[in-house]
Amino acid sequence: MVTHEAWLTQLFNEYLAGFGNMLLSLFHLTAENPKEPWADFVVMQIAVVAVIMLLLAVLRPSLSVRKPGTLQHLFELIHTFIAGQSDDQIGHDGKKHTTLFETLFIFLLLANLIGIIPMFVSPTQSPFVPCGCAIIAFLYYNYVGIRKQGLGHYLKHFMGPIPAMAPLMIPIEIISHIARPMSLTIRLFANMYAGEQVTLVFLSMTYLIAPAIFMGLHVFVSFLQAYIFVLLTMMYVAGAVAEEH
Amino acid sequence: MKTKLFLLLFAMMFCALPMFAADGSASAAVNLAPLAAGLGMAIASGLCALGQGNAVKGAAEAMARNPGAAGAIRFALILGLVLIESLALYTFIIILIKS
Repeated sequence: MVTHEAWLTQLFNEYLAGFGNMLLSLFHLTAENPKEPWADFVVMQIAVVAVIMLLLAVLRPSLSVRKPGTLQHLFELIHTFIAGQSDDQIGHDGKKHTTLFETLFIFLLLANLIGIIPMFVSPTQSPFVPCGCAIIAFLYYNYVGIRKQGLGHYLKHFMGPIPAMAPLMIPIEIISHIARPMSLTIRLFANMYAGEQVTLVFLSMTYLIAPAIFMGLHVFVSFLQAYIFVLLTMMYVAGAVAEEH
Repeated sequence: MKTKLFLLLFAMMFCALPMFAADGSASAAVNLAPLAAGLGMAIASGLCALGQGNAVKGAAEAMARNPGAAGAIRFALILGLVLIESLALYTFIIILIKS
């Protein structure tokens, strides 16, 4: 419930409104307000992607084995951490899926943290961005499971251990699988939104220190939620590719 | 026991005060959504706090007994805390949608 747009969104709406409407019309959609087709979360997402590409563009030429720089150390830290986690969860196949996990982690982390900077809004504060990431995770673990085990064998998982229980188990399994992206979405969105709202409420009461404390908490929550999102995705992938017996 | 009963009575009276205050003509326009939102969130976060406290207690005891398994326990703890916390967040979302 952002009352007015961030300055970047205003810029986009001023200069790129036609382009946004054209993009929307490609999918036979129309914006609610044709003069302002760009929403905050879309523009902020573009900002986050730009930041990531800039970081990588700076990082790539400076990579070296002999003399690693600060940025390289940082990214190696992230890589070691995520790769270690996915090894723990998935087993020795975990390395194959690390790409997606790291992409999700870096994107979500920056998307959560960009809201801390004044005049920026974190895109994960609107439900659509976490929903998109969750759908990617959902499609990915189903795809990986089907690829690894074959469609028939993968669907057999839904029947549960005892064939006689199948009529009972199949609806339960389907519902629980559909609930996964939903819970991923709601967890990330609600955490980010609530964190921001708490800061706002305290900011409306006082400008002294108290809001800053909650912003500090928000930074912690940002890290934790990015990690949790990736961790749960790992567990879903691990469940999809696990071999029984 | 007596204190508990007294507190309960006090709470009920406290809730009942606005009811007494409202006369027949104005009662139709009372918006109960903020009240429901506050109470619902309070119940949800209170019960979640109980659950999370229990989880942390178990994890701390387990870590004290077996420091070697601290990593695995911490992992289970974080996962459990997050899953418990999401229950309160569902309430939060329902409040957002309904109010």
